[in-house]
Amino acid sequence: MIEEPYRWVEAIANRREYIEAQLAPGSPIAALGYRDGILFLTVGQTRQKIFEIYDRIAMGTIGHPGDIERLRMAAIELASTEGFTRSATDVSLRRLVHYSLSPVMKSAFEQIYGPPYLARMLFAEVGDRAEEDLFLRVEYDGEIAANGATYAQARRDFAALSGTQQSRGLMEAFLATQHASDANLESALNSALDAWSVGHMTLQTSDAKEPPERSAVRKHRQEQLANAGIEAAVLERDAGRAIRYRSWSDNELRPLIRD
Amino acid sequence: MERSPVAFDQNFSGAAGDFAALLRHKGLLAPAAANPLPQAGTPEKTWQPTEATTILAFKFSGGVLVAGDRRATAGNTVVYDRADKVLEIDRHSIMAIAGVPATAWEMARVLEHSFQYFRRTQLQEMSVDGKVRALSKLLRDNFGFVMQGVGVVVPIFATYDSYPKPETRLYFYDAMGAQFEVTDYAATGSGSPAVRGILYYENNWGAKPLKELGEDESVSIALRALDTAAESDTSTGGVDRGGKIYPLIKIVSREGITTLPESKIAAVFKETVA
Repeated sequence: MIEEPYRWVEAIANRREYIEAQLAPGSPIAALGYRDGILFLTVGQTRQKIFEIYDRIAMGTIGHPGDIERLRMAAIELASTEGFTRSATDVSLRRLVHYSLSPVMKSAFEQIYGPPYLARMLFAEVGDRAEEDLFLRVEYDGEIAANGATYAQARRDFAALSGTQQSRGLMEAFLATQHASDANLESALNSALDAWSVGHMTLQTSDAKEPPERSAVRKHRQEQLANAGIEAAVLERDAGRAIRYRSWSDNELRPLIRD
Repeated sequence: MERSPVAFDQNFSGAAGDFAALLRHKGLLAPAAANPLPQAGTPEKTWQPTEATTILAFKFSGGVLVAGDRRATAGNTVVYDRADKVLEIDRHSIMAIAGVPATAWEMARVLEHSFQYFRRTQLQEMSVDGKVRALSKLLRDNFGFVMQGVGVVVPIFATYDSYPKPETRLYFYDAMGAQFEVTDYAATGSGSPAVRGILYYENNWGAKPLKELGEDESVSIALRALDTAAESDTSTGGVDRGGKIYPLIKIVSREGITTLPESKIAAVFKETVA
């Protein structure tokens, strides 16, 4: 029955619906380009969600831990073997995602007798200048979204990942008005916490068109931070060192929060 | 169609965090060489170690100083006079090499990526004992080539350990991969007998033991030792007074690795050695 084209389309649609439902509770992740690099941030996780991939590349993910692990290992292996056989400067996020991860995720998604990857990922690669920072979001079906300028939008120096498309869209709308690329770490941290709160508040609602009011965002943020930890990492722009990834602990970041 | 070695491979799991195994799985690293069997009828050839260079390391008050001359030779010929034999492996580790450069640099690359790969996949830093063993294993895997007469490498490994006790640690290796931890100093390469003599003398009867020396005093002793080695060993460059080529000196401490600028080495050389 699956040989019939209509059945195949239906099976894919079912599969999409199933995966979206699985990913829907996923806590948001915000990634912001700021003066000294790129900041990744999420709140209140039981397991790690932000990872180092290579010298200039980091990843944040939502999804099933087993699938995340397979994709993370694959990304590290690809980057490491490329960096070993050629050089660290030949490792490129664009190639890693476009030529390796996306095709594999697409075929896993469409081969309906096999398991798909229950994961969506947000990658960032820090450049020597802020204009060279690259953000790539990869969906479970291999779809890729970049931060570059398109017909519909100007180039962005931030990206977001959330359980639902709507929540992610509202985080992006919020960051487009609130975030400046020349912000320092403190400002970027506070914008990222606000963006996370916007995403977290709108995970349940299905009809919101605009990000919530500022006062409501701050209130939600305070409530959540009272009971949950911050997970954060930066990719530093400093060209003095090869390895740019550095994780920040909750304790280090708390003093920088402005209420 | 042959698969690209850097293509996505779902059959290999990095869960063990072993980068050398990953490279072998992808065919990017030569398999461990088998020891050659003795052949009947051929006259027995004695194996000659050819670690033509001098490197040294010792602990002083500011950490571990690692120094190496710059000469690379092939037989009687000097092929290069700016070789870098003191290699940074990670933020706190240095591998200094005597031996065949092609094999040594390859080992350093594998090692550097192994430590990073382990940290990234396993989400924890590799222990110092693990790092020391990783180099030992690369040497063991290479020993078949050594017995075939190519690719001998005899390194020194210097690092800073923060656990269980914060301290610098220094090791030398033999060609088969045995590691020896030393408390004061190590030297390998063809010029090492002279250097070992000097360091032993300085440590026991010098103005003060090596451990208590300041940075300038340590640099001075390192330069004098390499110059002494070069005096009788043709494979050691020492200090090239005409070409103004100085040995490479790096220091490992809690803060990480410092590469001494050539101007500083030149100043110490002018003042205390020349």
